[in-house]
Amino acid sequence: MKRIARFTSLCVALFVVAALLLPSGARAEKEIKIGVLYPLTGGAAAAGRELRTGAELAAEIANTAMADINMTMSKNAGIQSMGGAKITLIFKDHEGNPTLGADLAKKLILDDKVDGLLGCYHSSVTKTVSAVAEQYGVPMINGSSTSPTLTERGLKWFWRTTPHDTWFTKDLFEFLKGLTEGQAKGVKAVSKKDIAKLASACEKTEWGSFVSSLIEQFSKEYGFDLKKSLLYAKEAPDLSSEVRSLKASRADALLFASYTSDAILMIKTLKAQKIQPKIIWGQDAGFETPEFQQTLGEDIVGIMTRTVFLPQVVKVKPLAGQVNKLYKAKTGNDLSGASARSFTGLQTWVYILEKAGSTKPADFQAAANAIEIPGDQLVVPWVGIKFSTSGKEIGQNVLGSGLIGQYQKGSDGKVGLEIVYPFDVATTDVIYPFPKW
Amino acid sequence: MDILFSSLAAGILFGMALSLVALGLTIIFGVMDIINFAHGEFLMIGMYTGLLTAKAAGIDPLLTLPVAAAVGFLLGIACYLGFIKFLLRGPMIAQLLGTFGLMLFLRNLALLIFGPNDRAVHQGLLVGKSFDIGLGIIIPATKLAAAGLALAAFAAVWLLMNRTRTGKALTATALNPQGARYMGIPTERMNALAWGIGCASVTVAGALIVNFWSVNPYIGLLFTMLAFAIVALGGFGSVPGAFFAGIVVGLITELPGFWDFMTYTFEFDWMLDVPMISFKYMWVYVAYFVIMVVRPRGLFGWKH
Repeated sequence: MKRIARFTSLCVALFVVAALLLPSGARAEKEIKIGVLYPLTGGAAAAGRELRTGAELAAEIANTAMADINMTMSKNAGIQSMGGAKITLIFKDHEGNPTLGADLAKKLILDDKVDGLLGCYHSSVTKTVSAVAEQYGVPMINGSSTSPTLTERGLKWFWRTTPHDTWFTKDLFEFLKGLTEGQAKGVKAVSKKDIAKLASACEKTEWGSFVSSLIEQFSKEYGFDLKKSLLYAKEAPDLSSEVRSLKASRADALLFASYTSDAILMIKTLKAQKIQPKIIWGQDAGFETPEFQQTLGEDIVGIMTRTVFLPQVVKVKPLAGQVNKLYKAKTGNDLSGASARSFTGLQTWVYILEKAGSTKPADFQAAANAIEIPGDQLVVPWVGIKFSTSGKEIGQNVLGSGLIGQYQKGSDGKVGLEIVYPFDVATTDVIYPFPKW
Repeated sequence: MDILFSSLAAGILFGMALSLVALGLTIIFGVMDIINFAHGEFLMIGMYTGLLTAKAAGIDPLLTLPVAAAVGFLLGIACYLGFIKFLLRGPMIAQLLGTFGLMLFLRNLALLIFGPNDRAVHQGLLVGKSFDIGLGIIIPATKLAAAGLALAAFAAVWLLMNRTRTGKALTATALNPQGARYMGIPTERMNALAWGIGCASVTVAGALIVNFWSVNPYIGLLFTMLAFAIVALGGFGSVPGAFFAGIVVGLITELPGFWDFMTYTFEFDWMLDVPMISFKYMWVYVAYFVIMVVRPRGLFGWKH
């Protein structure tokens, strides 16, 4: 008995030693491992699932040749400049927790030996994870965190493809200004007095609190009167006192920065309290998840949200339609701002790898700083992707742009987002004021 | 004015639901001097019971109260007979750490079974409906029902404690266990009953609260803390104390509303910049602290 045990353990030990000694590059086809951190459970789990599928779809397109998609990465299987190396994604769930995110990033880098990172949605998590990436000199691409400060830290290993909240919040105020000037489609010029009073409620982590201060800054700049700006915990199980406080401000426009479950709770509570503002606007995130639409049904008609992608984009961008078809076959949902941006994030990884021709961090860094991806390669309606390498912001894509969508009931009776800003690409008339509950 | 009235109404309604949460804690403490840290976890279990029963049986969450009460009662008795009974033999510190362990166990068990995601009731007879009763007061139907049913549950427990032989036996056990035993009262069974009633009242509170709060496995701690503050305020072991202190605490959580009222009525600009909302639970603990310093036995305390 003892002998058998000794023999078995010897075999196991030999096997382990052999596995450790074999060089990982010895395999015929090189594998590129990318660690992807998303909130797959917790309050933003719904968004997390979309982000995950978006990234998976991009990897699938990169790894297989698909003739019917007009993208260079779909033309061949794997990364051409690296002998057809395939992309492997390793997903980790950070639960929206910055500390956990940093721990997972360390594990991905040290244990899984990933070539780089993608993530993390919550700006607060992206902040800690990018600090870990910087410490180890591992490249990280961020596709969907929009706190402006993330690219103001001078990081050398961090690139962000999405436009950030300074632009988005400015878009909102441009929209409000346009509304008073009669530029909004289907709405006569609104007197500024009618929408002068604003109130905001933002979740209180990195992202929301920064949006809150941006709203404060821009309302001064554009001459609006911010009556109330409050911060709340995104895990809050009840928002009724917050909502009563918004009501007390008697604001004409209510502005939110919320993740999924708190966005749903906020709208439910607004309805229960019969609050009747003229404009309800959400800073993306929770306001455009399928869960938000499915749970609240027709109550959301008239609500606006900033985003970077709407199903309506398909009308003006055939490529987005081709990718959307694949995405819909997988999930049953249309691409959203979350999934379109995680798709674009991973796509950027692929294009930079193609340009770099190696996974050596230094080569990747040089390629990332030099890359210019034209807009016709992207599903999102941007001019393209090109990262800033000097000035106040480092690693920020300077060719992105945002949209404002409004939930409207289509002719088929389904509620969906229509483009209302920029005014020149608006797909429909704006609903103003916000309809009675 | 409407801000003031609606805050008052909201505070009182929420306070009634909160006092039912605290009731269980005060009964258990009153009868056997044991502080139950796992109290909020029982509430969480009640919330899940209400939510899942409603979903599985396709009925309104309000109709699941008997199920929640039964689950709570059995769970309470099981906890007592299988765990707490043995803790009572040990020193005070063992009881504290024991119920603390129970809290961690129940929380992680819920995490294992239900997962960490928030869940909420989105459909129901009363969900999303509200009454406008004038003066600018808008009362969500779910909260009104919760407050009313909490009141009924409270009355039932009060009657049980004060108007029945079982209640007398419970009080006797609370006052002097040894003396009660000499009088032929089965104190062991009384202890188990106290746990049963205590847990049933808190799971009922959970099934009421889930109508307007979302639930996740971590929700318990907030309520444990609130319940402690209420029980301390009302006096450990006092049933009417829990009721009034619950309403007081409900009103304290509405302080931001009163602050808003002052702000807009007197137009003090500096008041606008104070983030009262972010500190809404802080004032509850401030009140707790003040009571502990000024009157440690609470407003209605009768033991010790």
